[in-house]
Amino acid sequence: MITLDYADRRPIYEQVIEKMKDLILLGVLETDSQLPSVRELAMDLSINPNTVQRAYAELERQGVIYCVKGRGNFVAGTDGLKDKQKEELKPQLSELVKKAQKADMTEEEFITLVKQFYSEQ
Amino acid sequence: MIEAKNVSKSFSDILAVDNVSVTIREGSVFGMIGTNGAGKSTFLRMAAGVFRPDSGTITLDDMPVYENPAAKQEFFYISDDQYFFANTTPKELMRYYSVVYPKFDKERMKKMLAQFNLDEKRKVATFSKGMKKQLSVICGICANTKYLFCDETFDGLDPVMRQAVKSIFAQEIAERGLTPVIASHNLRELEDICDHVGLLHRGGVLLSRDLEDMKVNIHKVQCAFKADSNIEEVLQNVDVVKKEIRGSLYTITARGNADDIRNQIQTANPIFMELLPLSLEEIFISETEVAGYDIKKLIF
Repeated sequence: MITLDYADRRPIYEQVIEKMKDLILLGVLETDSQLPSVRELAMDLSINPNTVQRAYAELERQGVIYCVKGRGNFVAGTDGLKDKQKEELKPQLSELVKKAQKADMTEEEFITLVKQFYSEQ
Repeated sequence: MIEAKNVSKSFSDILAVDNVSVTIREGSVFGMIGTNGAGKSTFLRMAAGVFRPDSGTITLDDMPVYENPAAKQEFFYISDDQYFFANTTPKELMRYYSVVYPKFDKERMKKMLAQFNLDEKRKVATFSKGMKKQLSVICGICANTKYLFCDETFDGLDPVMRQAVKSIFAQEIAERGLTPVIASHNLRELEDICDHVGLLHRGGVLLSRDLEDMKVNIHKVQCAFKADSNIEEVLQNVDVVKKEIRGSLYTITARGNADDIRNQIQTANPIFMELLPLSLEEIFISETEVAGYDIKKLIF
């Protein structure tokens, strides 16, 4: 379902959180659909079930998924997730602007490119 | 819960384990890492009741382990240096273990032997090193014990087997709360599966902590500064473990929260800055280096 990047330095549970969020944002996991059980995912990835549990707990805390006792974990709506994603993009965008400035790219050039990418998508 | 309190063990004048205290909780995966000759195997052998500690106590669920069959039924020990009876076959091994371990699952063992393509009638002595390891792991899983001690178990296994064994461990942990205790050098491997890591060096425990906490608390920063920056002053406020300077490029290993470190260094106006979490391997190197185990000393 998801693949871990072993070269990634971040803790595995962070990777699981991020990949799950990506799947939800992309619509692969639809609202109210069931996530794989902790045991299934742990076996699938050959990682510790406690790590998966931790990732799910964090996703639940962030309101991305909800837990039904005895039945498993389900995807909550994507609205909150999208807002959060927008917030997270801000520092990344600011990094990008910094890099552009170092390369002497003007604001107009940057914005033109952004507009071009938006129309292409 | 396995509890070791101030355990020491020496062989004639060699002090192998020096005043070690560790707690291994149930339902977590405990990884034991250490420099060569740090006392990992000796510690495991004491936990398994093969050796009696010279001083201190080791208890398993509040029972002493040494010469105590009741405690020994609760764990399975996969030694790095495996011993099988002469002329034995997996089938006989199964019969032997089902006498020792009351909860031994023979049906499961038969099924697993078939899955792993190990012939139950072939003599173990004719098995390759890796196949013997596989056999031990299968026995360990089928013994249905609460604890499983693995001494360098993953080392003799090929990548496919390692993935498979980790998957099986994951299943056992989730289904019946198996508590594996894994001693290894392969830190990459431990990183995937362990919750808690104990780092041994020269017979003592350097640190014993949850893996995630460990990773959250130490970071590597690569940054560059202009010549007139006040970086040295700023670094006074950061808990620096290690610092390397090449021209204007700094590589700093520091303890503490990622945001705190970032904010501190930001005040010195770096030209660029990148903050990376450390891999377990790097944590191992930096922690043992502080304790005087320096790679540079080994090279020169």
